Amino acid sequence: MENRLYGYAGKIARINLTDKTVTHIPITKYVPKYIGGRSVANRIFWEEVKPGTKAFDPDNKLIYMTGPTTATGIPTGGRTVFTGISPNSYPEQYCWSGIGGWFGAELKFAGYDGFILEGKASEPTYIYIEDDRIEFLSAAPLWGMLVHPTQKKLEEIHGRGVKSIVIGPAGENLMRNASITTSNDNVAAKSGFGAVFGSKNLKAITVRGTGAIYPADIPKVFELRLKMGEPYMRPSPIIHEQTHGMDQNTIPVEGGWLRGQVACSHGCNQHCCRLMMNMKSAFSDERINQVEKCVGIFAYGFQQDCSWTPIMSFETEKNHFLPCKMLSCEMPEIDVSDPYVKELFDKVPGDTVNYWKPDFDKGSVMMDMCNEYGIDKWDVIVWYMTWFSMAKKEGLLDELDFGMEADVENEEFVKYFLDMITYRKGKYGPIFAEGMARAIRTLGKEKFGDTIYKGRFSQVIPGKRLDIPVSLETAWGHSYHWQGRGFEGSIPKPGWLATSLELMTSTRDCQTVEHHHQKYEEYLKFKDDPCHSPVLVEGVVMNQNKGELKDSVTSCEWQSPDLFWPDMEAEAFTAATGIHMTQQELDEAAERSRLLFRAILIRNFGRDREMEVNAIFPTMQYPDPWGETVSWEDWNDLVDLYYNRRGWDRKTGWPTRETYEKYGLSDVADELEALGKLP
Amino acid sequence: MEDNTARTYGNHIVQYVPEYSFCAGCTSCEVVCTLVHDGLVSPSYNRIFVDRDNRSMIHTVLSCQQCSDHPCFDKCPKKGQAMKIDENNIVWIDEEYCVGCGLCAKACVFTPSRINMVRSADKSKRKAKKCDMCRTRPEGPACVQWCPVRCLGTSENSVATPLGPQEKPMPKEAK
Ligand code: SF4
Ligand code: SF4
Ligand code: SF4
Repeated sequence: MENRLYGYAGKIARINLTDKTVTHIPITKYVPKYIGGRSVANRIFWEEVKPGTKAFDPDNKLIYMTGPTTATGIPTGGRTVFTGISPNSYPEQYCWSGIGGWFGAELKFAGYDGFILEGKASEPTYIYIEDDRIEFLSAAPLWGMLVHPTQKKLEEIHGRGVKSIVIGPAGENLMRNASITTSNDNVAAKSGFGAVFGSKNLKAITVRGTGAIYPADIPKVFELRLKMGEPYMRPSPIIHEQTHGMDQNTIPVEGGWLRGQVACSHGCNQHCCRLMMNMKSAFSDERINQVEKCVGIFAYGFQQDCSWTPIMSFETEKNHFLPCKMLSCEMPEIDVSDPYVKELFDKVPGDTVNYWKPDFDKGSVMMDMCNEYGIDKWDVIVWYMTWFSMAKKEGLLDELDFGMEADVENEEFVKYFLDMITYRKGKYGPIFAEGMARAIRTLGKEKFGDTIYKGRFSQVIPGKRLDIPVSLETAWGHSYHWQGRGFEGSIPKPGWLATSLELMTSTRDCQTVEHHHQKYEEYLKFKDDPCHSPVLVEGVVMNQNKGELKDSVTSCEWQSPDLFWPDMEAEAFTAATGIHMTQQELDEAAERSRLLFRAILIRNFGRDREMEVNAIFPTMQYPDPWGETVSWEDWNDLVDLYYNRRGWDRKTGWPTRETYEKYGLSDVADELEALGKLP
Repeated sequence: MEDNTARTYGNHIVQYVPEYSFCAGCTSCEVVCTLVHDGLVSPSYNRIFVDRDNRSMIHTVLSCQQCSDHPCFDKCPKKGQAMKIDENNIVWIDEEYCVGCGLCAKACVFTPSRINMVRSADKSKRKAKKCDMCRTRPEGPACVQWCPVRCLGTSENSVATPLGPQEKPMPKEAK
């Protein structure tokens, strides 16, 4: 038998755009200790990027990694990750951003587990990879093009079947919310890495690979294909829907619309994303198809916030299902023999917010523009547009002249505004192209950010008006997500305390990869006094570590964690690589990756307890739907518990030497000690 | 494009119309095809091809139609050894004898060719890969068995209306 590497492709390409050079690093320099994906990227960033580097500096490195399960046929392995300094984070910090599609698998077929993008090209460039060959080509004919036309042009040049990741005009113009897009409208959006591409004069990367990836245990791969996410294995026809949306945001659609379900990534056994067919385009009379995930629903009408059902976060052995089943409308039947069944399915309605009335065509146009310009849809729907709605109703826009009446219910204004921020037009284009967190500060946060919107009403306590600021900003320059207020705000206090702790120790909205999941029986233990519960803290640690594994092994947010199959990721890792790894060992690797992330934040970005508590605490002072907030004392008690559990110093929030050494990172401890950043 | 209207085909893999089941573009069919035959995953080995459309996100699945007159077989310089015809009239490749010349792939009457070629600097590794309907698998075609949305079947045993071999699965407009 050949001396073969299973799972991995074998090397990482270091691509220097300044010198147009490529060198190789063997993947075995980092694995299995750092698993793959984000964990490897964290190690590379720690070793290579110095403190003081800014997002748009040529010295910022954008690291792209696949995982050992990518292209092995193990479901969800097609997910991949970018890391680097995010221009969208406030302040700029080290971030990550996941992306699906076929690009990662194709890159592995070409022989690479990932690449490090460094330097800056002297002129618009794109990279073409065909197996061993990596070329730097002029992007002059592509620069300025929209996302889909760019992808098409690359297929024309390099042949059908190549896989590309591209940016649109938003990335070229350094809009801080710019995304990187690949096939099936899959994006790496939240960290604004599209703008980092733009800052490096990089328009696209196109790959064709002809090689092979060898999973170590093929029978196990097939077993996983049958078990992970309990695949539907039934026909999934195109459905002619008559309505769109959910709850109070359900809207009738004249003539109906066509829904197909598509997979997000290579070799997956699910089809979680909705393909909306024959939709209105922003750019031509031709009808288009576009992919929608959860937040997209609100583009079409946003009068009430998302509802929340306990089963979405807290599960029992009898009743638990994966979030992906909701978007494909394939939820399993409720097991009524569950003693908790009533509580689990007791829906909490979202607050009434009245941001905009239903308009199916306008929603489609908004989505199309985000797709084609390459902008993070999330911030457009949840933050820019809601701000316009609320600020206008509170009379804040009277003195701002946008050159057109700011009206989020007018399709023309939506187009006008997205055009303005993408191309930095007029007085306000350059301001809002900096992302909402920065724009609000330029305008004056006290007035344009913190003014209370008087149109939010609880549906838990009917008629009760609840304070919410006109700018839905939470920590780190991101908008609220599943945090008790703002967007997806109907989760009760024990839940939003957990998600806020997750956010506090992160650098971006992390609910896209760490949606909090815990057993319902555990929830019962901490629901009455969550701030003093080690059980809640244990849940937070578990979800964070699973988040680390999702981007490392790789797996996905919609299939993991499976609370009743905790070693799923370990089984997948072992099947792909042939390296036996128990769940405990993999969890230790996740802790190690997490520690590296922490060390990067401490060394490069000055992270400590004071900084992160001050970033998160004010966001929890607006009431949740029950009117609840958290006190300074209670929150700090919870932070103490969490730091203790992690092995971090309570005063500074810095991990101790002992903790670093426990996970094989004594070199990291040495460096931090020399900098005076060890407690 | 060749006119294949007069041609007749043996039992082959079909993609069903989207009203029955819509291809999710997951590429599981490509993956399982190479896993069961070759013990690996590679776009040079699969015998079924998801022709992806990045704009419409409507994907067409292509594979060998098992032509009754098998022009690929006729062009094989080692026919009878490298290419064989079984009792069900399925043309299959016996890789031990395949010299990887690519003449069968060129002779395929469909575009793109339904025969995949493994290119390698090592001549002994150059092989043609053609759908053999998983003829030795007791469970039958792996792609059909593992398509998570059951949008694939076999022409002799189809449970729904198949798309024609070159037909795009574009649904009719809703409005
Ligand atoms: S490979 Fe092409 S020519 Fe040969 S049987 Fe199949 S479809 Fe016909
Ligand atoms: S029937 Fe078998 S050989 Fe043919 S495409 Fe399907 S999996 Fe491959
Ligand atoms: S396995 Fe089925 S759904 Fe997936 S790409 Fe193949 S035909 Fe389409």
